[in-house]
Amino acid sequence: MNTNLSREVVFSDDAAMGRAGMSRRDFIKGIIATGASISAMGYVFGGCAGDMGSAPGAVERLISLNVNGRVRRVDVLPQETLAMTLRYKLGLTGTKLGCDRGECGACTVLVDDVAMYSCSTLTHRVRGRSVVTVEGLEGEDGALHPVQRAFIEELGPQCGFCTPGQVMSAVALLEINPNPTREEARIAMSGNLCRCGAYDNYLNSVMRAAKEAS
Amino acid sequence: MLRDMMANFELYQPTAIDHALNLMNRYGDDGWVLAGGQDSFDWFKDRAKKPRAVIDINGIDDLHGIRETADGIEIGALTTLTEIETSALIKEKYGVLADAARHVASPQIRNAGTIGGNVCQDTRCWYYRYGLDCYRAGGNTCYADTPEGIDREHCLFGADRCIAVSPSDTAPALVALDARMVVVNGDGEKEVQAEDFFIGPDVDIMRMTILQPGDLLKSIVIPNTWAGARFYFEKVAERNTWDFALVNIAAAMKVDNNAISDIRIACGGVACVPLRLTVVEEVVKGSPPNGASADLAASAATRGATPLNYNGFKIPLMESLVKRAIRES
Amino acid sequence: MAYQLIGKNFTPPDVAAKVTGKAKYAEDFRAEGMVFCRLLLSTMPRARVRNIDVSEAMKMKGVVGILTADDVPEQNAPNNPILTNNPHYVGDPILAVAALDEQTAQDAIDKIAIDYEPLPFTLDPLESLYPGGTNAREDGNIRNRRSGSETIKWTAGDFVEKDVCPTGKPATEWSYGEVDQGFENAKLIVDESFVTANNPHHSMEPRSCMALWQNGKCFVYGATQSQSRPTRDLARLLDMDSEDLVYIAEYCGGGFGSKGTAYPVMAIPPLMSKKVGRPVMMRISRAEEYFIGSARHGFQGRIRIGFLGNGRISALDMYIIQENGAYRGGGDWTAAGDAVSLVYTPQAMRFRGIPVYTNTPIRGAQRGPGQNQIACVVEPLLDKAAEELGLDQLAVRRINAPDNDSKYGRRQGPVTSVYMREALDKGDEAFDWAGKKQKSRQKSGSKVIGVGIGQAYHAAGSNGYDGLVRLTPEGKLHIHSGVGNLGTFSHTATSRVAAEVLTCKWENCVIERGDSRRHLPWNHAQWGSNTSFTMTRTNYVAAMDAKNKLLEITAKDLGGSPDDYDLSDERVVHKTDKSKSLGFADAAKRAIELGGKYDGHEAPEDIHDMTKASVAGLAGTGLIGVAKDNLKREGVVPAMAVGFIEIELDLETGKYEILDYVGVAECGTVLHPQGLETQIKGGAVMGFGLAALERYVYDPQNGLPANMGLYQCKPPSYLDVPSEMKTEVVDIADPQNPVGAKGIGEPVQGCAAAALLCAISDALDGHYFNRMPVTTDHIVNAAAGREQSYKVLQVNTV
Repeated sequence: MNTNLSREVVFSDDAAMGRAGMSRRDFIKGIIATGASISAMGYVFGGCAGDMGSAPGAVERLISLNVNGRVRRVDVLPQETLAMTLRYKLGLTGTKLGCDRGECGACTVLVDDVAMYSCSTLTHRVRGRSVVTVEGLEGEDGALHPVQRAFIEELGPQCGFCTPGQVMSAVALLEINPNPTREEARIAMSGNLCRCGAYDNYLNSVMRAAKEAS
Repeated sequence: MLRDMMANFELYQPTAIDHALNLMNRYGDDGWVLAGGQDSFDWFKDRAKKPRAVIDINGIDDLHGIRETADGIEIGALTTLTEIETSALIKEKYGVLADAARHVASPQIRNAGTIGGNVCQDTRCWYYRYGLDCYRAGGNTCYADTPEGIDREHCLFGADRCIAVSPSDTAPALVALDARMVVVNGDGEKEVQAEDFFIGPDVDIMRMTILQPGDLLKSIVIPNTWAGARFYFEKVAERNTWDFALVNIAAAMKVDNNAISDIRIACGGVACVPLRLTVVEEVVKGSPPNGASADLAASAATRGATPLNYNGFKIPLMESLVKRAIRES
Repeated sequence: MAYQLIGKNFTPPDVAAKVTGKAKYAEDFRAEGMVFCRLLLSTMPRARVRNIDVSEAMKMKGVVGILTADDVPEQNAPNNPILTNNPHYVGDPILAVAALDEQTAQDAIDKIAIDYEPLPFTLDPLESLYPGGTNAREDGNIRNRRSGSETIKWTAGDFVEKDVCPTGKPATEWSYGEVDQGFENAKLIVDESFVTANNPHHSMEPRSCMALWQNGKCFVYGATQSQSRPTRDLARLLDMDSEDLVYIAEYCGGGFGSKGTAYPVMAIPPLMSKKVGRPVMMRISRAEEYFIGSARHGFQGRIRIGFLGNGRISALDMYIIQENGAYRGGGDWTAAGDAVSLVYTPQAMRFRGIPVYTNTPIRGAQRGPGQNQIACVVEPLLDKAAEELGLDQLAVRRINAPDNDSKYGRRQGPVTSVYMREALDKGDEAFDWAGKKQKSRQKSGSKVIGVGIGQAYHAAGSNGYDGLVRLTPEGKLHIHSGVGNLGTFSHTATSRVAAEVLTCKWENCVIERGDSRRHLPWNHAQWGSNTSFTMTRTNYVAAMDAKNKLLEITAKDLGGSPDDYDLSDERVVHKTDKSKSLGFADAAKRAIELGGKYDGHEAPEDIHDMTKASVAGLAGTGLIGVAKDNLKREGVVPAMAVGFIEIELDLETGKYEILDYVGVAECGTVLHPQGLETQIKGGAVMGFGLAALERYVYDPQNGLPANMGLYQCKPPSYLDVPSEMKTEVVDIADPQNPVGAKGIGEPVQGCAAAALLCAISDALDGHYFNRMPVTTDHIVNAAAGREQSYKVLQVNTV
């Protein structure tokens, strides 16, 4: 995947980038806070050196994606998965790659409100559809989504790597079933593995979120 | 197996069946029809399959949806497993299929995965999936059917150089429901009984279904013959999520005056095809659906089973599931 | 003692980032000009690489560099190499390719031709011990207890008894008490051979890593459980000064022992980056994680246990053959021996063992290494003995349970505290053992009830590390923690001890961690359930040092002696004249004015160099509390756990449902109730996987692994474990920890695994499986009265 050569069209101001994901400014702040020397602009929005020549046969196409309520223009390879586009071209690293085989659920995002494994979804297939990642859950004012709040209250996460996927599955469930039984929640969450084994706490979180929303 | 990075391909996203068929004809063996992709991506990421062109048929509206017809229902091949699992119509009249769909992998897989993809998916023989050059991959050996082969998941019936099994949960349900598969190609449309749609290594060792390059599974027709019948589905896998059946079973049964008047029963995970148990059907017809009939059916079911190094447990397991299907439909 | 913070729940400072996706794991970092590297792994179980032809790959546009074994520091055998020309298992990394994008890197790897000379391989320790059997390595077939390899072959005579584990010449042997006499005294002797499977860790986060060089410094963004330890160890791997290494590991997506410290492949991005002059991201795939992500050691073994009529164990004789993988591996085998000596307190015991190489992936510690496997072996045998002796399962455990006077291991040394009987009592009550026991083996249709109890242990504490805290002129307490972030929140729970000692409000505290530039002390790795014990001590001694300095400064300024003052609500207050007081913010300013030891311009002699450097870096920024943990520790620090379980097993399908599970922790003072609960429950989930789902499977004919991906390796899902579990805690302080805390993370897995195995056997009328895991097919065969398809001592099989 030509992950290094991103030619996303950059919006001229941060406000236009909407609430979703990280604004450029946040992203840069984040990188500076954590990284040594890193100029995020260069990486995520293009500007790496010269001709990166993707492999023969690969033809990127510039497409529009609706991610977290914003239209993002991005060059996408035919075989590119949504997880890779999100993580390596749109800077949305909250979506995790745990297995890249549609088995662990760490990459779960919503496509038209339905939970999907983004590692097993071609980016070209979500054109014209609404994609929501964990970065898109917070409100305009930065307030956490009720599911996120419940995950904190119940200490859902342990290592946290599977957590964004768990959160997205919980959000998907509560969209269609705002008052699930614990057993319904258990089944709805069952496509998300947690090696720390935090299932009990995650289910407590889902039930709390349902209760507090009702 | 150690790659985890798809090779390049050309991607086509036709919106009409004709377009798809044209593309399939153009590329022949170099083309790959992509439905939900949940099996395909595994092959691509392993680079064990490197099609030149991938024809993503999801944009074809005609392939989606569940329609009630005069004599049953027709399910578009791209109908997702979640849609089948939650369809009021299917739950009411053909519950065994909804039940089977509900047991496939995980919610996200069922949201993306389609009924067509589920029945057309390739076998999970780990040697074959590893990318070895076995018969099924076009080579001239089987790695599993060897003195020390790790063959726990492999077949009890129908071994013929290859000992892989059908991994599908919905396929046995479709066989039990006497479904017909609607196949289109450049020459037109044809219907094939579900039972005949799946093929063993004796017919073609490199395919699991009758679909040839250029053929597209368009829809699945379920006649109302079995609408509202007594049904049974059970899947025994090691994990209760995201796992393949060690053995699964689907049955449709009609009972008149406490006697089984008609029955269709099929078992997955024991042969290269979802195995219709016609002998069992004959044995129990006319008998009450009780323990005695169940025991008789069970012993009939595994007659002729040939266990391998590690799959002997499938004999009692299959017998148990047959018993339960007769007892508890 | 009444604490303000200890024992209370809190919202960990890192949890919000986990639910919002803002938490940055190694693969989430980017750098300008970053290139991608991918690995080429051996396709052979054992071979010599005769030639590597990279000519086609190097011609590819976008390929920027290749690293082979010849380009990386060689590791001393049998340590895991970084890259190798002598692959010892399928999946052993041979080379790495960097390219401008990942696709090109993989395409290039596909164009590299490796000429392998295949060598004989082995997948079975017993086969390797047999006269003339294959050695997995050139330098021998066993790892000796010093640092190298040697060859030990047993005699054909050792193997004559059919289906009994041979017990030839061991690599180590120890005993205490009169073992022969113990067996003579026994009313019942249980004698079993057993196999426990290898199983991969499969942490959710694969061990990706990004590295770049700038101005002579190397920046590494890694996936490790720990912080200080990998900083030092990675510097060693790279043969560089740890002061020139900046190591960032703020989050770790699970490790379970496999990311304890730096591991060899972590050296690849820094080395590649140096070579190609660009930042390098190495994204590790799930399949690669299987190969290089470590796995628990499997055992073959034999155990004889002599029981007196009352169930007391009079003698125990155990032999463990550890499957070592092809490299160094860990100490599970000896840990298992030590654990048995404490958990069951046999009156006399002999342990023998030998670690034997096989051509399978690298092994290392996995949650309860050794202790948890052996719990799964011994606990079902206690039930077997109880049944034969007509005793209750719980009674047999009670009579053998360790207490504060019990001795540990080969040296029969002391323990700091053990309350196993109290743990059993807690579980007994919460689970209603007597009531549940009534239901044991009751049938309903094809379903039958089984009950079980499991016990497990881990050494859960260390000492001798440094603590570092800093009070700033703004009145904030910065607690510097170099332990790491495994995901247990214990970095925070243990930091709260410093706040407790210094009477600080929690909202005025900042934990400094996750980045070696944050001036971190030398701390132990976050492994071995040691954090709760070890880090409370370091934070305590650092806080006490800060406290003493606060008292001294105040006495200097306000008169009297330091003893006249005490701390209260972030102020130093005179004990009798409350009008004399000094706020912490002012005290910090005074510390800076005073300089010297007060603000870090001087540091204690006995602290580690890493801590000294950190103190120097902080000098002049506040009042520095820094000290080495020289508190007394005599004996091993036992964490104990007990699990009680009830299952309903379907004899027709081999499937079971867990109806009830109670996990009990004996870990001293509880630091963080909510966190402890998650450990008990999460450990149980992993335990159920260990007991009944997870295992290595290899084809003995070609050395290929059958189970690599998650659906094959089968870590438990939501639907494989109870949706609700209960927890209990003993909560008796350990006398050798300033706040009474001990660790707990590991035995909570082993007890659950053992309990489940006991319950499965109970449901099958006491049928004992001589192996772990016990899977669906095994249960179906047992229930149907069929012979199992595996041979008694067969390993790496289904």
